Amino acid sequence: MSAVLAAAAAEVSTGEAIAFWVLGPVALAGALGMIFARNAVHSALWLVLTMLSLGVMYMVQQAPFLGFVQIIVYTGAVMMLFLFVLMLVGRDSSDSVVEVLRGQRLWATVLGIGIAGLIVGAVSRSLTDVPVENLQQQNAGGANVNNLGKSIFTEYLFPFELTSALLITAAMGAMVLGYLNRHEKGMKRTQKELVEARFRGEYERPSPLPGPGVFATANSVATPALLPDGSVAPESLSRLIDSTASETFSDEIKSVAGTEPGPDAHALTPSTKDTSTTDTKNTEDTEETR
Amino acid sequence: MLATVLTAQPVPPADKLSAPAIDYGAIMPVLIVLGAACVGVLVEAFLPKHQRWPVQVVLSLATLAGAGIAMAVYLGDESTPKNGVITLAGTLAVDRPALFLWGTLLVLTLGALLLIADRSVEPGGAFVAEAAIRPGTIQDRAQVAGTGMQTEVFPLTLFALGGMMVFTSANDLLTMFIALEVLSLPLYLMCGLARRRRLLSQEAAVKYFLLGAFASAFFLYGLALLYGYAGSVKLADISNAAAGTDRSDALLFGGLGLLVVGLLFKASVGPFHTWTPDVYQGAPTPITAFMAACTKVAAFGGMLRVLQVGFESTSWEWRGVLWGVAIVSMVIGAVLGLTQTDVKRMIAYSSIAHAGFLLIGSIALTDQGLSGTLFYLLTYGFTTLAAFGVISLVRNADGEATHLSQWAGLAKRSPVTAAVFTFILLALAGIPLTSGFVGKFVIFSAALQDGMAPLVVIALIASAVAAFFYLRVIVLMYFSEPAADGPSVTVPGAFTTASITLGVIATLVLGVLPAFALDWAGSGTFAFQ
Repeated sequence: MSAVLAAAAAEVSTGEAIAFWVLGPVALAGALGMIFARNAVHSALWLVLTMLSLGVMYMVQQAPFLGFVQIIVYTGAVMMLFLFVLMLVGRDSSDSVVEVLRGQRLWATVLGIGIAGLIVGAVSRSLTDVPVENLQQQNAGGANVNNLGKSIFTEYLFPFELTSALLITAAMGAMVLGYLNRHEKGMKRTQKELVEARFRGEYERPSPLPGPGVFATANSVATPALLPDGSVAPESLSRLIDSTASETFSDEIKSVAGTEPGPDAHALTPSTKDTSTTDTKNTEDTEETR
Repeated sequence: MLATVLTAQPVPPADKLSAPAIDYGAIMPVLIVLGAACVGVLVEAFLPKHQRWPVQVVLSLATLAGAGIAMAVYLGDESTPKNGVITLAGTLAVDRPALFLWGTLLVLTLGALLLIADRSVEPGGAFVAEAAIRPGTIQDRAQVAGTGMQTEVFPLTLFALGGMMVFTSANDLLTMFIALEVLSLPLYLMCGLARRRRLLSQEAAVKYFLLGAFASAFFLYGLALLYGYAGSVKLADISNAAAGTDRSDALLFGGLGLLVVGLLFKASVGPFHTWTPDVYQGAPTPITAFMAACTKVAAFGGMLRVLQVGFESTSWEWRGVLWGVAIVSMVIGAVLGLTQTDVKRMIAYSSIAHAGFLLIGSIALTDQGLSGTLFYLLTYGFTTLAAFGVISLVRNADGEATHLSQWAGLAKRSPVTAAVFTFILLALAGIPLTSGFVGKFVIFSAALQDGMAPLVVIALIASAVAAFFYLRVIVLMYFSEPAADGPSVTVPGAFTTASITLGVIATLVLGVLPAFALDWAGSGTFAFQ
């Protein structure tokens, strides 16, 4: 195997070797950073670093088209979708660390190391007896992209055309699952109908929900609006955008909305709130009698 | 500088790039089906809602007829080569097994399409009127009463059929992968379109989609390893590379293993079967019929070609593993089938057991094994089609009554339905005079000839165990008192009647006079090029 590596090393030009030794550690660092970063967004950005280095490596190894596709499709499109989802879910939200299956992590580690060993073993063994092919034929005439295009329209014409069926199905599937004719009767109301319905009292409140307001410390949607007494306005917390905020303030929300759990029907002592009201009533009564 | 770069780029002459030769006569059925699917999409776009259903039904039935005629013309032509043609730069192999599978797929899709188009059993059809309305909302409750349906299922069915036809005749793994996606994507979608029990149906669709995407990834990974091994994705090149050189076996068998996992998932062979019961139960029954009959044909057709063309030379190495998989599948299907209380889930486990039998035929790498498996696929498809047709008839106020306890005493309410279902169950069990018996017989005899006697013994035990749960349903239907609030049997309209009749008559004819179909199934082998 060392002989093969030595032979391969002899063919590698100095520039390629430098590029490899610069990009290789960077890609590895990105991969490790992705695993060990505590913040999901940082994790995604570390992955971008790995993907970019891989893209450049492809270009160094005579595959410019693959390199650009790697950067445009993976780093560009896929990673941005990733970040979108992360931002939608909320970058602070984290998975529960409670193990549902007992011993799950131990087994995952053991099996993961096992399969990594298997793959490394298989790949290193296959390095010795697989004929190495360079990309001379694909890059003939210095035109990697031209030759790719050529093989799409000759050798792989049929699979290429068949992907159109896939795209049509996907487009139609999105329409079937997503399209709703909102102009039909009984569907979504127009703005005017909505305003009238609001003032007729069909909704809880006629006005929009409060924003952060003048007492707020930031104008993010996730920041709760503060009422003049400094407590949190419960309507201003969105469950959709940031689940953690509404959970953190759940006690305050309950106290402001007056939905704290009342006393148990069988409880012997009345709740504190009830006692206070009856007390005030009593005092009022006594005042009146006086 | 720029000028030199530009001139340095060689401009290929216009005549250098020649399009691959296309044998239009051979691939006409595929072109008709895929073309008609595109026309169906245009119908959806341009016709008003109330006209779509009749137009789509006529278009789809005409497509199947047209594709069938095109295939008959091609087969009847004297100049058609006996051992098949390889066309479109070696991506499609139209040989005798492929044509047999195309014919099977077309006829089975005809039956499934009649079930899909039926609007008499469930007013408005088995499909939801607007899939985008969330289940359980006011609008959803309003649309249950309506009679519209999402007519997109017709072009989607045709797309799935086109994908299946390409899948069975793909001569290289790349075409096979794209065909796999073309056949799967419409199925994922259609699983979630049931009119009743919509949450269950959507859950089935999501499960099928996620697990299916996972299996596709396995297939693709295997494809990549095999490409690394052979330097080509063509099955014949992989076979030659495996036979002639001493390259790394790690890539070959790693690739083969991953590839076969993807195929076994589609064919719902145990231990890759976990999606099957949930999806069969949740999907609208016509789609379940289509999936159970046609996907199995396509998946095993593809598997036969991969194993016989690509990996015959290395069969000593992988056959033992597939022995094990076949045994596991038969045992899972037969044993778990015993414990089921839902008719659709029971048929799903029966399909897992049948997948084990089919796998036995697929790994018997002889001509008898090939023709036996093809014949078994034909018979199993018709029987399953009729079974799901009957299941869609037994209903109560909530839709289909699939719990077994509700089927008690069905013979007293509707003797004809009970008799038909009994016949179908006997065919699934493999009783003589039904097609199931002949199918099992040809597969087991091919396996015996190929030296797999222990496997045949296990298969016979498994089919005896499986026969028990079929007979249990028959006993339940005939010897139990019907419940007072039991389901009623709907009198089917013309479409469903035609579909069930097609399935039952084919089951009977293939059981009594199987010779013509056996001859056709054995009329040729895979083209190797």
